[in-house]
Amino acid sequence: MKRLVLLFGIFLLAASCSKDRNFDERELHLISPEKIAGFDPIHASDMYSGNEMGKVYEGLFEFHPLKRPYELMPNLAETLPEVSADGLTYTFKIKKGVLFHDSSAFKDGKGRELNSDDVLYSLKRLADPKLQAKGWWLFDDKILGLNEWKDKNAPLEASNYSEEIEGLKKIDNHTFSIKLKKPYPQFLYALAMPYSFIVAKEAVEHFGKEFLNHPVGTGPFILPKFEQTNRIVYTKNPTFREKLYPSEGEEGDDKLGLLADAGKRIPLVDKIIVDIIVESQPKWLSFQKAKADLLEIPKDNFDQAVIGGKELSPELKGKGIRLFANPQLDVTFFAFNHDDAIFKNNKKLRQAISMAWNREEANKLFYNSAAVEAQSVIPPGLGGYRKEFKNPFVKYDPETAKKLLAEAGYPNGKGLPAITVQTRNETVARQIIEHFAKNLEKIGVQVKVGMNTWPELVNKVTKRQHQMYTMGWGADYPDAENFLGLLYCPNSSPGSNGANYCNSEFDNLFVTATAMQESPERNAMYEKMNEMIANEVPWIFGFHRTKFYLSHAWLKNYKFMEFNHAQFQYLNVDLEVKKELSKKF
Amino acid sequence: MKTNSLWKDAFLRLAKDKWALISLIIVVAYALVAILSSLGIIASGWAQEVGASNLPPSTEYWFGTDIFGRSVLTKVIRGTQVAMSVGLATSLIAIPIGVFLGAIAGYFGGWVDDMITWLYTTFSSIPNIMLLISITMILGKGLFAVYVALGATSWVTLCRLIRGEVMKHKEREYVQAAGAIGGGHMRKLFLHILPNVTHIVIINTSLQFQVAIKSEVILSYLGLGVQGEPSWGTMIDDAKLELARGVWWQLAGATLAMFLVVLAFNLLGDALRDALDPKLKGK
Amino acid sequence: MIPVLLGVSLIIFVLFNLVAGDPTAVLLGKNATARQMADLREQLGLNKSLFAQYMDVVKSAFTFNFGYSWATKQEITYMIRQGAYPSLCLSIPAFVLSTVFSLIISLFVAYYRGKGIDLFIRFLCIAGMSISALAYILFFQWFFAFEMGWFEISGFEYGFPDFIPYIALPAIIWILLSLGPDVRFFRTVILDEIYQDYVRTARAKGLSEINILLKHVLRNAMIPIITYVVIQLPFLILGALLLESFFSIPGLGGMTLNALNSSDFPVIKAMAILSSVMYIVFGLISDILYTFADPRVKLK
Repeated sequence: MKRLVLLFGIFLLAASCSKDRNFDERELHLISPEKIAGFDPIHASDMYSGNEMGKVYEGLFEFHPLKRPYELMPNLAETLPEVSADGLTYTFKIKKGVLFHDSSAFKDGKGRELNSDDVLYSLKRLADPKLQAKGWWLFDDKILGLNEWKDKNAPLEASNYSEEIEGLKKIDNHTFSIKLKKPYPQFLYALAMPYSFIVAKEAVEHFGKEFLNHPVGTGPFILPKFEQTNRIVYTKNPTFREKLYPSEGEEGDDKLGLLADAGKRIPLVDKIIVDIIVESQPKWLSFQKAKADLLEIPKDNFDQAVIGGKELSPELKGKGIRLFANPQLDVTFFAFNHDDAIFKNNKKLRQAISMAWNREEANKLFYNSAAVEAQSVIPPGLGGYRKEFKNPFVKYDPETAKKLLAEAGYPNGKGLPAITVQTRNETVARQIIEHFAKNLEKIGVQVKVGMNTWPELVNKVTKRQHQMYTMGWGADYPDAENFLGLLYCPNSSPGSNGANYCNSEFDNLFVTATAMQESPERNAMYEKMNEMIANEVPWIFGFHRTKFYLSHAWLKNYKFMEFNHAQFQYLNVDLEVKKELSKKF
Repeated sequence: MKTNSLWKDAFLRLAKDKWALISLIIVVAYALVAILSSLGIIASGWAQEVGASNLPPSTEYWFGTDIFGRSVLTKVIRGTQVAMSVGLATSLIAIPIGVFLGAIAGYFGGWVDDMITWLYTTFSSIPNIMLLISITMILGKGLFAVYVALGATSWVTLCRLIRGEVMKHKEREYVQAAGAIGGGHMRKLFLHILPNVTHIVIINTSLQFQVAIKSEVILSYLGLGVQGEPSWGTMIDDAKLELARGVWWQLAGATLAMFLVVLAFNLLGDALRDALDPKLKGK
Repeated sequence: MIPVLLGVSLIIFVLFNLVAGDPTAVLLGKNATARQMADLREQLGLNKSLFAQYMDVVKSAFTFNFGYSWATKQEITYMIRQGAYPSLCLSIPAFVLSTVFSLIISLFVAYYRGKGIDLFIRFLCIAGMSISALAYILFFQWFFAFEMGWFEISGFEYGFPDFIPYIALPAIIWILLSLGPDVRFFRTVILDEIYQDYVRTARAKGLSEINILLKHVLRNAMIPIITYVVIQLPFLILGALLLESFFSIPGLGGMTLNALNSSDFPVIKAMAILSSVMYIVFGLISDILYTFADPRVKLK
């Protein structure tokens, strides 16, 4: 018994001594709120996997870390490509002297120089029928000969990469050209996404099925092996090329100290430590204990917990903590399934339901009143959004809603069956529908909650087994096409148009506009489509949310980025400040 | 008439134990609350707003209000209905299956035993929580799925315990004696052995009832349980996000409600065991 | 052993191949094309006959070749090897400590049976298990790890004794939750024995109560205790789903919960099969232990 007590005592004692902080090395501590599946870029469909891959891998282009609106800049590419007059042939030049990480996959274990074959190989991998890449939709039916190559290789044992494809041509070791089937103005954005990161053929072949645990890229950090634990430790890539911190940014960046490191060689930190913490409470507590330098506050009402108002509490301010509130390129919605006869030809019913939902209250309850009420599909910050535009059916007006409901054929909801809204099994998702249901009850419409795991929800929507569902959509790239496509008829389930909404006028405009390069004319067309769809109410438009980040004072150069997978190489840690402030934690 | 006097005796002993009485009163009170709530006599207006959002407990709102300004107390009561119904339904499914299969397996042995052992080994070799989550996920959630999942997992323990106990008793002198004076199998099993293993059923039920309540809370917390109705689990789920800003009353309300009933079931089960176990008689 | 594995495979097959939905949409992400989904169904073997699909499940149960995870694309045996260590680092100390504490407490309360101290300790144990695990987690993590700073908030470190600050708090919660059921069970079986005739005889012989308790009663009570303990062993490898996910311990419990949330059927199937194999193995071990604890079993 005594011995046991002693043992337990030792156990507690050992438990109570935590490790000291490291003030000698520039370590960046980050939190990823989701499990990381692996390091194969072609499957980088979620933001968090993309963020991890972006530390190790690079693409031809990246978004400028400071300039807004988002601006593409060459990364592995030497310059922006030359585009032929018909807009179909792109000629790229890539940088010379870029080295892959040292790896056992290469001869002598030394990383070799990047060449144009690597780029073409990486693009072909997205089409490889054996791999079923999650990023295939980006290039599906876009590059000349690629779909044919995919089909041809499907029955084969292994895909034949040596076969030349008409659309993917190597010119020399550092030059190649890509020929498109049809105009694709979003093409360069696609090449900046994590899906299109460049991998080395040797590494893919050497590691085989284990490739996803052995990332061998050209990026600023190295990770010799991904161990699937809840902590990922990256170290600075010693062979990284000379890449400099930008010396210009958006107006005002100078004052914010974002240009203090201008012209310095990046990456600026020696090490990045990423802890994977899924639950809200430990995430928040870890940040407060200064175990993480940056915290993304979940989109749910946890943000109220942290800030209780739009300002930080004095206690947090006193510790030097800063708050970043940034409007996101996203939209939340309740979609009607237009397969359902109840909704399909009954615009008045859809409008009635839309007007019965008190968005102002929802905004206050769930988003700390920081979200923007969506008037239609396109979020602010993208061409096609017009600030002055107000959708009359987004206004909360239960009286008009009742009138519309009666006109729709269901006076006081009589005759209308209860509507089930499918959502994710998450706290706030459930609460939002509870709120929605409570509002609709006032005009006599019964709403039930259907809770699903993410896979189940996707399944129900792709199989059209839903009446209504709710979801949020985040931009893949800064082009409203990504949002308008959600209501484009050919994208109906199993595609991304889960509302199965069809409107031929809209579809015709979509085809024309999305083939145009960015221009005032194209944006005018986007505006027209956006406002046209608003009155049709194929969705109950929800919100464009605001994302909150908290950072400690010693984290330098942080600026919110929607497409932030390449951002981490620009961040810096001020060890002096950290040493000083750490006494407060 | 042996059983009658046993139960009467047990009741008298139980009545003397004040902890058991208090527990019994608590359980009965919860049952009453659940019945009244399911009849719509109390807590039918749980969905109504009674005040502002997230008000702390006060004399007006004993447990405060939730994010929508609904009374947490009313939600707790409504949650009681859900919890008690889950416990009851689970017991109603698990006891008959568990006792019947366990008894015939233990008594007859041979291939009957082999079959039943195979069945419960199969079930018990898959972790309960996985089976629970899988069944609720696949049956499409809601209370019904929770009943079925808990019923399907909770008969196993009872069956195993009954089987073991029956096997032990089969060899005891009194059963041998009953056999010697010409008792048939069924007579021996149901008249002589089963009354002597009732305490197992009772202990197990009190245990199972609270395990069911706890499981429902966890399933609802994971979003797999009750839909569109308050449950202690969903209240704790809400609390997860509210705690950091000092809204502790939903967690406290749900936890307290659950704590009391689970505690009462446990104490009552123990007391019943002491009172009912024939071997303890006269001590 | 084989029939049970067949039974387990059958349950798993019925649940995940027959009843559950189509996973392809999930696997391909939000922008999947219909063509791609159809191709993937073919590649995953979802178009095979039901019998062939069942045989696949059976085959994996016997060869331990579970294939690749749908969600993470990782090899499942590798995932299990990775996750077993953190899980066991939490579950073994927690289980051993809780069993030992429970046994000591049970003997103690059995010795003082019926007295105030017996009632009080039992009440505490039962009260401890009556609080929701979720409440413990939320409160302890905030109070002991954050406010007091005695433990790490979450995460895991490989190697002894580095992992201790990380697993201490979840282990304590585990112990608090299992003291109640353990003590009540152990006390019941100990009391069962105390009122047997042989104890009366021993007492008549003038043996001390402690002596009787430790030598005779405990020995005879060992059978149900061993069964009770051994039955729980195989599930230790599964870890604790909620504890692991809340404390960010990269173990099998968190992995399983993750798999359930992402409809990652191969992983769920693998975990179910793995734990049932362990269950069977430990069943055999407990049978062998019986013969040591109770010579009467050997005679049969």
